[in-house]
Amino acid sequence: MRNKLLKEISATQFALTELGLYLDTHPCDQKAIAAAKEVEAKRDELVKQFEEKFGPLTVGIDESGADFSWICDPWPWEKEAN
Amino acid sequence: MWQYQKKLQYPIKIKQTNPKLASLIMSQYGGPDGEIGASLRYLSQRYAMPYAELKGLLTDVGTEELAHLEMVGTIVYQLTRNLTEEDIKKAGFDAYFVDHTAGIYPVSAAGVPYNAFSFASKGDAITDMHESMAAEQKARTTYDNILRYCADDPDVRDVIKFLRQREVVHYQRFGEGLRLLTDRLNEKNFYAINPSFD
Repeated sequence: MRNKLLKEISATQFALTELGLYLDTHPCDQKAIAAAKEVEAKRDELVKQFEEKFGPLTVGIDESGADFSWICDPWPWEKEAN
Repeated sequence: MWQYQKKLQYPIKIKQTNPKLASLIMSQYGGPDGEIGASLRYLSQRYAMPYAELKGLLTDVGTEELAHLEMVGTIVYQLTRNLTEEDIKKAGFDAYFVDHTAGIYPVSAAGVPYNAFSFASKGDAITDMHESMAAEQKARTTYDNILRYCADDPDVRDVIKFLRQREVVHYQRFGEGLRLLTDRLNEKNFYAINPSFD
């Protein structure tokens, strides 16, 4: 469940990276801007879902507040995280 | 500034360890056309860029290369788990092992530590864009060479193919960047001035 959701985040994030690079050299392409907006909203929603269940993706305090779960395993290079 | 995301750009889950392959792939971590050189190149070159598109492009590609550095480190890390001294010796990984154990250190496949002489930041936008385009092709060739040696490991192959494809895309974007740049210069003599200095 965790890794499946993470994969979905990576897919939307990747689309955003690609659109971002394209927009760097085509900054007036309205169609690409609209696509980026759509995929960004989707990414933000998925990140929110993930962080509520599995802890922060960027350093910070998680919702439950008890411990500093940022440091919890697995870290990205570990098999369990992928 | 940068902010870390606690995830890889593309997932990596390698079932079979392979220290020999790890020592070849390490070249894309710290070798002459590896990802640390790529990020340093673009993130250094961007200061001299005269146009917004080029500042943005070099910042964004340089940032993506940092994510690729992490991915290459991850491949090497996962390929070198739970090794015995015997595995290490048999794979020829012992020369790396004596200096770094199974830690990650930026060296080329031949064991040469990372050297900033492998890239240029010339303070001339035309020169630097050409250097960046060549760099993407050099990295693409290196990934193609690595692919020759991981035919029997689909987990590694899949990730290397992803990284190789990104070099192709970056080359394309840099090509557009170079065109945007020359379109704004004297079309009869692009080299009449240094667009980053004069």
